[in-house]
Amino acid sequence: MTDLTPLTALRDRDPRSARFGAVTLSEKSDLSLASLYIGAGRTKPHPFGLDLPDIGKISNAKDHSAFWVGPNQWMIERKSPSECDFAAEVKAQAPETAVTEQSDGFVCLELEAPEDAMTALLAKLINLDPHSLTPDTAVHTGLDHMTVFVLRRSVTRLDFIGMRSYADSLWHALATAAARMNNLDT
Amino acid sequence: MIIPHPLLGPRDAQEFTYLGDASLMARPDPYSESAEAEFCNYVYLRDNPAGIHRELWFHEQGDRSWLIITRDTLTHEILGAELVSADKLKAGL
Repeated sequence: MTDLTPLTALRDRDPRSARFGAVTLSEKSDLSLASLYIGAGRTKPHPFGLDLPDIGKISNAKDHSAFWVGPNQWMIERKSPSECDFAAEVKAQAPETAVTEQSDGFVCLELEAPEDAMTALLAKLINLDPHSLTPDTAVHTGLDHMTVFVLRRSVTRLDFIGMRSYADSLWHALATAAARMNNLDT
Repeated sequence: MIIPHPLLGPRDAQEFTYLGDASLMARPDPYSESAEAEFCNYVYLRDNPAGIHRELWFHEQGDRSWLIITRDTLTHEILGAELVSADKLKAGL
């Protein structure tokens, strides 16, 4: 039998992490994702006790969270090994909905910084008002010509969920911005 | 250009993909007697107005909704944006 070693989206054995002054950038490899769609006019389900949030918002319930991705569509998240069949678990919670596994399609990079540094970084990274990204806000937008979900988990924490195939480019874009803001080399 | 998304507010036009004239939603009836001529017009002929134009834009780097944008092609001023709802599709608007 071939002895296979799982790699992260950035092709390392362990999740990558780097520090640029007060800013820390880390890869999160333990996030399970599944998209959930309900037909127009249908009643919202409550998978894992979650209240599926309104436009541009995140809702949390114990170990799970959900963020709005489009009309009648949400992404359900849980911190757990991606080897689990998360979509099946979501489908069991909301059998009337269309659920698709998304864990292997995305990479999640977490940025931690003090509030003023976070605001300055956001102003450079995406073309949206940084002050509109209050905690528990989620937006889908473009960053360096890549499509990303930007999730403001708290005042000092921001998650970027982008295409897994762009993982290196997304890391490069975020690391370069964080380093330049601190006059450091990447 | 900034597009005023009806759900998400002002968004950079780079997040969107342009499809073309909103009249493309009015697909001809393939069973009508004049279907061949109508499809010829539908596929090949477009008005190219200098002024107000209704056009389809797809919010690719966003909520992936289709919008009808009313735009002045002379000034690029966006005069309105609305969601292409299922009802409008059904009505062929």
